[in-house]
Amino acid sequence: MKSSRRTRVVGAFAVIVAIAAFASLTAGGAGAGEQSPFALPRGDTLYTSGKQWGPYTNFNPLRPDYNTGLVGLLYETLFRYDPLKDKFLPWLATSGTWQGKNFVVTMRKGVSWNDGKPMTAADVKFTFETGKLAGSQYSTMWKTGLKKITTRGNVVTFHFGGVPNYQEWDSNMYSIPIVPRHVWSKYSAKEITAGNTSQRSKQVGTGPFTYGAGANSSQTLQWNRRNGWWATKAFGMKLPMRYIVDIHNTSNTASLQNFLQNKIDLSNNFFPGIEKQVGGKIGTYYTKAPFMLSANTAWLIPNTKKAPLSDKNFRRALAMSINIAQIVKAGYGNIVAKANPTGLAPQWSKWVDQAQVKKLGFKYNVAGAKSLLAANGYRDTNGDGYVENKDGSQIDLRIIVPNGWSDWMTAIGIIANSTKAAGIKLTPAFPDFNALVEERNSGKFDLVINNDKAFGSTPYVYYDYLFRLPVADQQTSVNFSRFTSAGSRPWALTTKMNKIKSTDVVRAKRVHSQIQRYILTELPAIPLWYNGMWAQWNKSYWTNFPTASSKGLQNTPSTWNGYLNMTGIDALADLKKTSK
Amino acid sequence: MSRYFARKIAIYLLTFFVAVTIDFAIPRLMPGDPIDGLIARFQADPTASEELHGYFTESFGLDQPLWEQYLTFWRGLLQGDLGPSIAYIGSSVSELIWAALPYTLALLVPAIVLSYIAGNRVGALAARRKSLDNTVLPAAYILSATPYMWLALVLAYVLAFKLGWFPVSGAYDFSLQPAWTWEFVRSFLSHWFLPFLTLFLVAFGGWAIGMRNLIIYELEADYANYLRSLGAPGRLVRRYAYGNAVLPQMTGLALALGAVVAGALVTEIVFGYPGIGSLILTAIQNRDYFLLQGIFLLIIVGVLIANFIVDIAYVIVDPRTRTGLQGS
Repeated sequence: MKSSRRTRVVGAFAVIVAIAAFASLTAGGAGAGEQSPFALPRGDTLYTSGKQWGPYTNFNPLRPDYNTGLVGLLYETLFRYDPLKDKFLPWLATSGTWQGKNFVVTMRKGVSWNDGKPMTAADVKFTFETGKLAGSQYSTMWKTGLKKITTRGNVVTFHFGGVPNYQEWDSNMYSIPIVPRHVWSKYSAKEITAGNTSQRSKQVGTGPFTYGAGANSSQTLQWNRRNGWWATKAFGMKLPMRYIVDIHNTSNTASLQNFLQNKIDLSNNFFPGIEKQVGGKIGTYYTKAPFMLSANTAWLIPNTKKAPLSDKNFRRALAMSINIAQIVKAGYGNIVAKANPTGLAPQWSKWVDQAQVKKLGFKYNVAGAKSLLAANGYRDTNGDGYVENKDGSQIDLRIIVPNGWSDWMTAIGIIANSTKAAGIKLTPAFPDFNALVEERNSGKFDLVINNDKAFGSTPYVYYDYLFRLPVADQQTSVNFSRFTSAGSRPWALTTKMNKIKSTDVVRAKRVHSQIQRYILTELPAIPLWYNGMWAQWNKSYWTNFPTASSKGLQNTPSTWNGYLNMTGIDALADLKKTSK
Repeated sequence: MSRYFARKIAIYLLTFFVAVTIDFAIPRLMPGDPIDGLIARFQADPTASEELHGYFTESFGLDQPLWEQYLTFWRGLLQGDLGPSIAYIGSSVSELIWAALPYTLALLVPAIVLSYIAGNRVGALAARRKSLDNTVLPAAYILSATPYMWLALVLAYVLAFKLGWFPVSGAYDFSLQPAWTWEFVRSFLSHWFLPFLTLFLVAFGGWAIGMRNLIIYELEADYANYLRSLGAPGRLVRRYAYGNAVLPQMTGLALALGAVVAGALVTEIVFGYPGIGSLILTAIQNRDYFLLQGIFLLIIVGVLIANFIVDIAYVIVDPRTRTGLQGS
């Protein structure tokens, strides 16, 4: 009897602690302050997922890892860019034109911040001037020509000294979110460049949504539609959903299960095998392969400071020995497409010198790879089936991708397997993300796959990514290959490219062709496939998603950072409720 | 008695000191620099990265020599300051732990206590009913040998995804925010059940096996035979046997705590449950030294305190310990 009384006491104690824990959870801890007692109506709520892997902490739109939707739903840019039609679309600005070395932007009238104050040219000036702060993402423009900004009425003039970097400037026009001066001028320089600006009352933007709930949580972030969004008057644009709730990803598997159970409407997760589910309630941009739009190029980055990868002939043999078609088919189930040998996006094909690609581009050719290796002194001297270095030492290159990136893990397995046929030994390894970053940035790696640069308005971004000089001890975001062996010429051409207007087609094409020649012959990095703009939707509650087959619906169906300010916001505005 | 406790407390303090030192060292032994990772996630412009790198390194105090960081860590610790988080820039480690802890406790406490009670009861029953012994025992063996992660995945797939009885992941419905409403409570409980069940089942198996074996041993003991020969009723004999068998189980509880905490961590990750386990995963993935330190510290303190409580309870429950103490 005694012992059972004791267990009963323990049991009661447990119940009390559990209740206490529960109480603290609701009262103070997890949900602090944001009481939204009622469940959101399903039919009025769009659930998205696929962008946010970390918690919803960053409300600073000037720091590129901002929370889902922050730029697009809350903060807006001067223009949008339509990557599918390669067109700049007016947004907060009604026009922007070059007048000599000045860029003149006319601001839209009647745009107001969600706290009621009007948006003015002074806000634009303030935003662009934050680029002068040390550590700003947008500091390059001030170091390479932008001299001052003046405003008159609703006109903002950007004054340049010397020839402006036109290509880079174009990207700025649709990627720099305009912030309110009356709120942001109180922030310190560090808060602007590196902070979180996470105070709820200070989420003041011009966009169609306001902050709802979920700051710092690692479950959901809620956006509430607001009245009086300027674009309704200007374009008749209206967002049909009252709420957008973005769901934090714990794993692609959990997201897939929620997606199939109709709990997620628009998913930008990578779901292997989703191509088999398309049709019925599940849709993708194309109804057949590659199903997805392309978002960026996955490059195989060689460390050109290490033998034998320092030899361009070896790099070429390596490229020729990789069976990319098999990665596309077996690794991805055809939801990606093989990359052009220049690595340039499909939407940039007008800038690709196709004749040159035909002549100089690498092709999958094992026999060719073998003879190229042999002709350059790489022979299998010890009979193990793999070629050795010219000095007879063994070649065993480590090829790395971050642990957990399952599609890439499969891909490097296929790569290592296919290079074997040509006699090149690769050993796949999966360090975790931070360890990989350290190896990659400090130049300790042999081979790594990377896709950091997204497709945008200009291939300049890709040339910069491949050729930027000088090479420092730490290469944090460009020229991971540490490519210097072709001298300063490729980088000089890249900077020249930056200073050519896209409208100057003849001149632009000539320089494009010259730079591409270096990509094709030197192979500073090997373009493999176009990583998809992963997007699939469940049509149970919302329909009229983007599709290639309807002209009016050709928009980017993505909530990833940088896509709402392309045409992602148009895609959301086009959605229609189902009868559910 | 006081000497016993003084010795115990001294041992606990020493353990605490060593554990905290290891706690400081382990995150820093992992390859990869937290600030590099942070900036890589920003995909910062190259000119900005260098600037940011210097700024973050300095603001997190990572530019100081290790011994100084170690002293700073102790100083902060004694003042209850666990430092800033790197992964969740802008939040303090204590803030994050306080937000996540209720979720983990809501899983752990009922799972530990209920599995202990139920496991012991069922184990004791199994020891005297052949039919129960033949069915419950194999099941218990399988359960106790099941990895938490695997059981969690199976439960999630079958009960949540296939049958749709419970939600797949999260701590409450996506359409809700935490609040004191019935709707939230109901949603919370339905999300809570599967992770709880995972922890409960694995631990339950262990307790049942242990208790069953102990009871069989006790029922064969001399005092039990003697009682029986005196004509004492079976119930009385079993009650004495249970009282004696529960003692080693209690020591087992102290030892098992660490395993259950670890199990809770992986279970949370499978169910996307926003407790300490999910926090620890983020911390490791981001090389967040301070957050890792903070969480490990919490686990160290938690396990030490639980052990201490079991130590005290043992003195109360087992008269022999008391006499032993008085004798010395």
